[in-house]
Amino acid sequence: MIKSLQTEDRFTAPRNLGAVFGRLDKSGPLPWILPAAMCILLIFGYSIIDLVQQSFKYRGEWVGFENFSLVVTDPLFRTAISHNFLLLFAVPVLAVLSFMCAVLLFETRKGMKFYRSAVFLPYILPIPVIGVVFGQLLQLNGALNSALRAMGIENLALDWLGEPGQALWTMSGIIIWKEVGFGTILILARLISLPLETLEAARIDGAGFFRLHSKVTLPQLKPVILFYIINEAIVMVSWVFNYVYVMTNGQGGPGNATVVSELYIYRSAFQNKSPELAATAALLLLLATLIFIIGFFKIQKNANRGLFDE
Amino acid sequence: MRLISHREVHMKIRKKAFAVGCAAAVLLTSISFTGATASNTSSRAFPSKAVTLTMWWWGDQEAPGAKLWLDDAVKAYKKKRPNVTINTVLQTTEGLVPAFAAAAAAKKGPDLQYFWGGIYAQQPGWDGQISPVSDHIPASELKHYINATTELSFQGKIWTAPWYVNPSFPVVARKDVLSKYKLTVPKTWTELLNVCDVLSAQGVPALAGGVKDGWFGGWLYSIIGGQSITSSKDVVAAVVGTQKFTDAKHADWWTRLQETQEHKCWNSDINSLELYQAQQLWKDGKAAMTVVAGPDAPNFANAVGASNAVVMAMPKWGKGPFAGKMGSTSQTIGITQWSKNKDVAADFLMFTHEKAQLNNWYKRTGSMPADDRFDMSQVKDPIKKALFQSALPGAPYLENFIPAQLDTDAVFTNVQLVLNGTKTGKAAAADMQTLMERLRKTDRNLVSNFTKWSK
Repeated sequence: MIKSLQTEDRFTAPRNLGAVFGRLDKSGPLPWILPAAMCILLIFGYSIIDLVQQSFKYRGEWVGFENFSLVVTDPLFRTAISHNFLLLFAVPVLAVLSFMCAVLLFETRKGMKFYRSAVFLPYILPIPVIGVVFGQLLQLNGALNSALRAMGIENLALDWLGEPGQALWTMSGIIIWKEVGFGTILILARLISLPLETLEAARIDGAGFFRLHSKVTLPQLKPVILFYIINEAIVMVSWVFNYVYVMTNGQGGPGNATVVSELYIYRSAFQNKSPELAATAALLLLLATLIFIIGFFKIQKNANRGLFDE
Repeated sequence: MRLISHREVHMKIRKKAFAVGCAAAVLLTSISFTGATASNTSSRAFPSKAVTLTMWWWGDQEAPGAKLWLDDAVKAYKKKRPNVTINTVLQTTEGLVPAFAAAAAAKKGPDLQYFWGGIYAQQPGWDGQISPVSDHIPASELKHYINATTELSFQGKIWTAPWYVNPSFPVVARKDVLSKYKLTVPKTWTELLNVCDVLSAQGVPALAGGVKDGWFGGWLYSIIGGQSITSSKDVVAAVVGTQKFTDAKHADWWTRLQETQEHKCWNSDINSLELYQAQQLWKDGKAAMTVVAGPDAPNFANAVGASNAVVMAMPKWGKGPFAGKMGSTSQTIGITQWSKNKDVAADFLMFTHEKAQLNNWYKRTGSMPADDRFDMSQVKDPIKKALFQSALPGAPYLENFIPAQLDTDAVFTNVQLVLNGTKTGKAAAADMQTLMERLRKTDRNLVSNFTKWSK
């Protein structure tokens, strides 16, 4: 009953307004989304067309696929892409951690608000602040290693960001630390809105903590977790520039150990003054991100369908 | 009294007209000749309407006091030209090049822009982003600007105006730290490695450095690599492909760098410290030597007591003409192509080279203004005096003669890896050569521009 009223409300409001504007009603939702669509088309459409044009030119002259060939054969570009790919391994870790944190917060009876804020805090901290703090903290003779040495576990005192073999993993650890708050809040919000009857019924049937959350809670959270996974995958492919730039002073070092595709694009455009190569790499990155965006829309569609089916 | 005929009068008038014409022609020719390269700045009336200039600059990082000097200079210029307002924006080290690149792409931004010397000033000129200062400042004035013709000229034009000289880059040594272990200041490479061996056995780094932000790699390339070349033309030859970066004269310095790693010369956290952070180790007495920016060297020496510090060139290993010598480069200011007040900008640049401004620069920063009219007799500090003199017939500063991308992508990165022990010097040289070959393909005008520059 409640659902049908909400649905009715949702559709009657535009209809009433549509009546005021007469014929607009007949053309459906188009007039309502047109201004926003035009803005998006103007901003993104123009940029994408310009990007495509630039990627086929050199200093204004048509060069065909030459830029693509140069970018694809660039070992640094391939290294950057491989680093983005490696960062994708952080996504399942994030999903599991977020789910676990959300469940623990859900089950917490006292101080939930405090713990929730504590988990969410890293997410709202500006990335430059995180970069500077971790940059200092993780120096070979920084606070973390000093503490480890004081505890007698010197073997664990590594050059976290200065050793090429582990710099990327350190970076992904910092990204996980920051991004897990978003996932936790997202999953927790959905968790709170789940019907309690199901959980109670499972408990009465004798389901323990692990069985309850793995067999009852988790399946119900599937849409939101999938959304989070896709969102974080997009982050890892095209949203980690800030971390790398701040923590490595824009170098992607040591060596090229932390260069990611966005840094490659930025350096090509603004340091190496090769806007055409930057445009080409950006176009390739856009295509890669598009795969995730399509996946995101599909999941969103399925999730919406699931909600309406409830 | 003789009567003058009409013909004679006519002849006289013609002669007079010819003489006036000749004089005017001579005058015009001389004016156009002297001002040919300066776009008749002096002959053009200075604008009386309100003018606002924006200047993006850098330099307080290596010449502390530069900000105070610039504030003074802007105030003094306001007194001289009340209708001109100059807004100054201090840039970060990482932001300097990208911020200008973004401004140039939008053709909107500063009227006056700071550039490091050499390629950092050449490239914006090649890309049409700056107007040659020689089009706005008379040659008679520009000839006094130190390093203007060595690093900044291109096909008869001079891109940017040198501001201050950067003796590049002195090593500062602490006598107290060395003498504690019965060591003296090393002058040769062998002596340096010996110092490294003795000090590393005691857990003390002989040299303090930080390569996390990359810049120190470029310094090391210049002060170690400069010892085996015969001229800056060698470097340009390797850039355009007539020599190779794997040739001994270009590659041996990588092996020397590897030796410093093998002899544990550096602080163990060199890869996790930034350039300026690492220099602090020297000030704190935790390292025997470090490398500093030329303008800042006297401040470092004074921080530990001038009698306790030695300012010198990198210990000698090579047999080239520049071995044991310090490099010399001038940091510069250019006028942007899109500036609507180029002549006013040039007028301000010339103002900064007036005697009072040169003296105030020295007073505020203790470093050397890039002008040979600077009165050196006021420099009493022996460290500064020696430093300034070393910069006048200085060695070429190599980093300024290679493409900036080669510097960041091959030098910065490979120095990090060699000092980390994950790459050999030989592999680093090969990587530098490979990247150079690639750059010749990606920057289709590179060979042509560098070839023209070297002529």
